[in-house]
Amino acid sequence: MLGEFEYLLLTAAARLDEDAYGAAIREEIESATRRSCSIGALYTTLDRLESKGFIKTWMGDATPQRGGRPKRMVRVTAKGSQAASEFYKAVVRVSRGVSWETSRVAVRS
Amino acid sequence: MKRASWRLVSFVSRALDSAERDAVLGDQAERGEGAARALGDVLGLVVRRQAALWMDWRPWMILVGLILPLAMLLSIAARMTGNASATYAWLYANNWDWALLKYAEFWYELRDSVWFLLQQFAPLACFSWTAGFVLGWASRRLIPVNGVLFSIALLAAGVFAAPRYITFWWEYVQRSLNLPPHPYQDDPVSAIGFYRLVFPVILLALAAGVPSLWGMRRAADLRTVRPLARAAVCIAAIVTLAALVIREPGVGFFLAAYRHPEIWRSWQLHALQFVVYWPPAYLIANAVGRRWRRIHA
Repeated sequence: MLGEFEYLLLTAAARLDEDAYGAAIREEIESATRRSCSIGALYTTLDRLESKGFIKTWMGDATPQRGGRPKRMVRVTAKGSQAASEFYKAVVRVSRGVSWETSRVAVRS
Repeated sequence: MKRASWRLVSFVSRALDSAERDAVLGDQAERGEGAARALGDVLGLVVRRQAALWMDWRPWMILVGLILPLAMLLSIAARMTGNASATYAWLYANNWDWALLKYAEFWYELRDSVWFLLQQFAPLACFSWTAGFVLGWASRRLIPVNGVLFSIALLAAGVFAAPRYITFWWEYVQRSLNLPPHPYQDDPVSAIGFYRLVFPVILLALAAGVPSLWGMRRAADLRTVRPLARAAVCIAAIVTLAALVIREPGVGFFLAAYRHPEIWRSWQLHALQFVVYWPPAYLIANAVGRRWRRIHA
């Protein structure tokens, strides 16, 4: 089972698709959660997900706006997609009928 | 101020793997982060990375099996060198007279003193450099943390443990062999607080702390050394550390070496003395090799 931050990271990487790399994933997580995301948490979680086989990372191209330094590119594997999907379904199942879920549905209708 | 902060970020980031360092510093450059946030972020990642390494048993074994014993051995060696050289320091610093420069006897005496101090400090610096080198090689990814731990252990052993150990050992030897009182007890030099308390710490920092941290940093160079030369370096390092252990007074007494003076006069031990000076030879050979490779690249 994934952790909350692991799920956020996988989702951000999946959404960014081919443009998924350290800074972009961080930006995506920060804008979605409206919370600051530390580089330490991001890179250690990337390593953990990679060791579990949920993502694959490699060093990409260097760009001038990065001071000539390469990006750490990220791609979600099939195993990672499956794990994220299971986590999402579990969250949906466990949230069914609780007050914040019903109020959200009520607000929407 | 801003430039100094970025230099600090760059310095701290050296504790990361080169690929990770590039990715992290690149991310920060792309986001246009301020130096303070960048420093906090890099520091956070370094702490996480170093802490993760301590989840394994090996760093703990290095701490118990190498850091603590080497710090203790070096602090004892430094304390004994300090006791011997404090008299010379006192002789020149506390009794200085410019008129002495006129006398040929003074220069003769000075030459002898310098030679004596060199014989005391050169092996200590080589022992310390070797200890740092072995420590750095044994735990390359932990060099920053082990550098800090080793410095703390060295200082603690030098200030608290080594003086007590030497006093205990000397009293034990005195009782066992019916020897005269400790030669450094109640003498005018150790009566002065500076020579008793501050001088040994300065000496410990300069002759043991600095060389060991230097050796630790140079341990990474061993990767570029050819296998045969690497084996020679490993043997030299092991022999040097063995010599450090043998020099420790308690070990000699435990082995009853005083009953076999011929051992200390043997050619094997004299040869051992020269092996101890391998660090300068290694540094010179390394510098020459690098220069040669640069020229022929």
